[in-house]
Amino acid sequence: MSQPLQQKNTRILLTWLPLIMLAGSVFFYNLLKGHILHTQQQQLQLKQDNIWRAFIAAPNNFPTHIAGEYDILPASADTSNLSDHPRDTTILYPDRGNVGFNILSRYRTVNGVGYLVTTYISSKEIRHLIIKVGVAEAIIFLLLLIALVILNRQTSRRLWTPFFTTMNTIRGYDIRQNKPLSLEATTGIEEFDRLNQTLLALIDHVDKAYRNQKQFTENASHELQTPLAIIRSKVELLMEGSGLNEDSAGLLQEITEANERLSQMNKNLLLLTRIENGQYPEVESVALSGLVEHLSSFFREYYENETEAITTIVSIQPGVTITANPALIEILVNNLLRNAYIHNIPHGWVEVRLSNNALIILNSGPILDIDPQRLFDRFRKGRVDNRTTGLGLSLVLQIAQFYHYDVRYTYEEGKHQLTVSLSSGE
Amino acid sequence: MKLLVVEDEPSLLNSITRYFRQEQFICEGVSNYTDALDRIDDTPFDCIILDINLPGGSGLQLLKYLREDKKKDGVIIISARNSLDDKIMGLDYGADDYLTKPFHLPELSARVKALLRRKYSDGNAILDLNILRIDLASRTATTNGQSIGLSKIEYDLLVFLVTNKNRVVSRQAIAEHLFDGPPEQAPGPEFVYSHIKNLKRKLKEKGCPEIIQTVYGLGYKLVV
Repeated sequence: MSQPLQQKNTRILLTWLPLIMLAGSVFFYNLLKGHILHTQQQQLQLKQDNIWRAFIAAPNNFPTHIAGEYDILPASADTSNLSDHPRDTTILYPDRGNVGFNILSRYRTVNGVGYLVTTYISSKEIRHLIIKVGVAEAIIFLLLLIALVILNRQTSRRLWTPFFTTMNTIRGYDIRQNKPLSLEATTGIEEFDRLNQTLLALIDHVDKAYRNQKQFTENASHELQTPLAIIRSKVELLMEGSGLNEDSAGLLQEITEANERLSQMNKNLLLLTRIENGQYPEVESVALSGLVEHLSSFFREYYENETEAITTIVSIQPGVTITANPALIEILVNNLLRNAYIHNIPHGWVEVRLSNNALIILNSGPILDIDPQRLFDRFRKGRVDNRTTGLGLSLVLQIAQFYHYDVRYTYEEGKHQLTVSLSSGE
Repeated sequence: MKLLVVEDEPSLLNSITRYFRQEQFICEGVSNYTDALDRIDDTPFDCIILDINLPGGSGLQLLKYLREDKKKDGVIIISARNSLDDKIMGLDYGADDYLTKPFHLPELSARVKALLRRKYSDGNAILDLNILRIDLASRTATTNGQSIGLSKIEYDLLVFLVTNKNRVVSRQAIAEHLFDGPPEQAPGPEFVYSHIKNLKRKLKEKGCPEIIQTVYGLGYKLVV
């Protein structure tokens, strides 16, 4: 699973640093303990030597026992196996209770008399010292950990700034908008400079391919116009012919319809390309209420007179105006209406609603036999395909997107609804 | 009336000349720049139908030459290049009209006739079919001495049908003609149907006989 860079970084630090610090602490504790033991041994040894020296100088009036300091006991031959290392013991003090001591015993002789000399050193202070050092160390490690994490976060935030700048710039880039992408050439970090260079090169490449593709569509459309014009003119000459009868007229009509559809497709493709190229920049105030009223009345009249008449219900809020290119808006409304009538059922209905916020076209009709997600794709057509170019809704979407209108399709119990939200999405 | 058609596509050239000859125009066709130049130098034409892309030169060059020579031939540019720049440049160079390919022959014919009317009628043109009289200056139509109250679109439709009288005009041609804007935005046959219906009704109300016929499924024909 992906996490933000900083979170990941912190997580790694927080996982490994405590482990390293714990290992360090154990090592440090053992080291400290070893040194202290060695120091105690040295001190006990020194004390032995000093006391022994003082004792042999005046064996008779030197006290042989001072609690917590030393014992000098007469001893027979050195039979006990005395350790070179200090041992632990406790002495009971009436006022302080049991107190821990480290002791070192040595068998020594003077004038042929043997003694067992034992020196004492309190172990309590040392133990306290070890605890205090341990606590101090723990606090220092903890502070170090916090400082490291904060420092790390701060630095990476600063270091990654060019990266996020680049990312935001790219996110705002739209190949269709014909605007060049500008990324900082020098960010102060070599890797990000390289990233920006690579991205610019990539986008330049993609841009060229996109432009070529568009150019191709435009050229192809232009080239198609001449043969289309020839077919059209020949059909029109044939219509004038004297040999026209119902049979040949039917054939001619079919040729005309196919040719007009081809021609319409070609024009729509060209139109799509032009809208994409932003070749309809002129905008003015468009009286949408009037336009919708006007266009729907044509469709109403036509489809009411068909044998399988389609009913039209219109509710238009008067005085709705938008700022857009009038020609494009007319195409948008016209295509939406035509779509609703063509993809309908016999004796069905179409409802047109216009308010300040939205243009809604509802119609009866069979369930879509294509994925609703792909409804606006080019050449994506349902079962009725003899009257359509497959570009009508693509044009609607293209125009809507051009003005940042939101277009939504919904279906519920035999009701198809296309909503164009007129408040621009920005 | 004498027409010259300059068009490099032989098949289209043939269609245009044939269409106009059916209407008693004297119509010549040439398919390249030099031939066109020769014909223009030789004879004045009432109207020249001029393609922009020609072998050996541009239609615009030809137009420029024509106007610099103070020739008054009417010029209609037909071009596959549907860009506004071309249109503006063509009209700047002195073309009288501009039509984008693919066009309908009745549309071209209507444009040519409109041009000729402007050229020769001194703004006092009347289309008179005996039963129907259209005053182009005041944009009114009368039948049996009665004025017919027509909407702008109905009037345009009537003029278009009268201009192409006794010829079949397809619904598509009518739709593109009536639509006030670039042809790729023209609405469909629904548009034509309702206007034809209204026009027929209004003519009938004023006692005009049924002169607009439906020709199979192809289109309409105004018969006189």
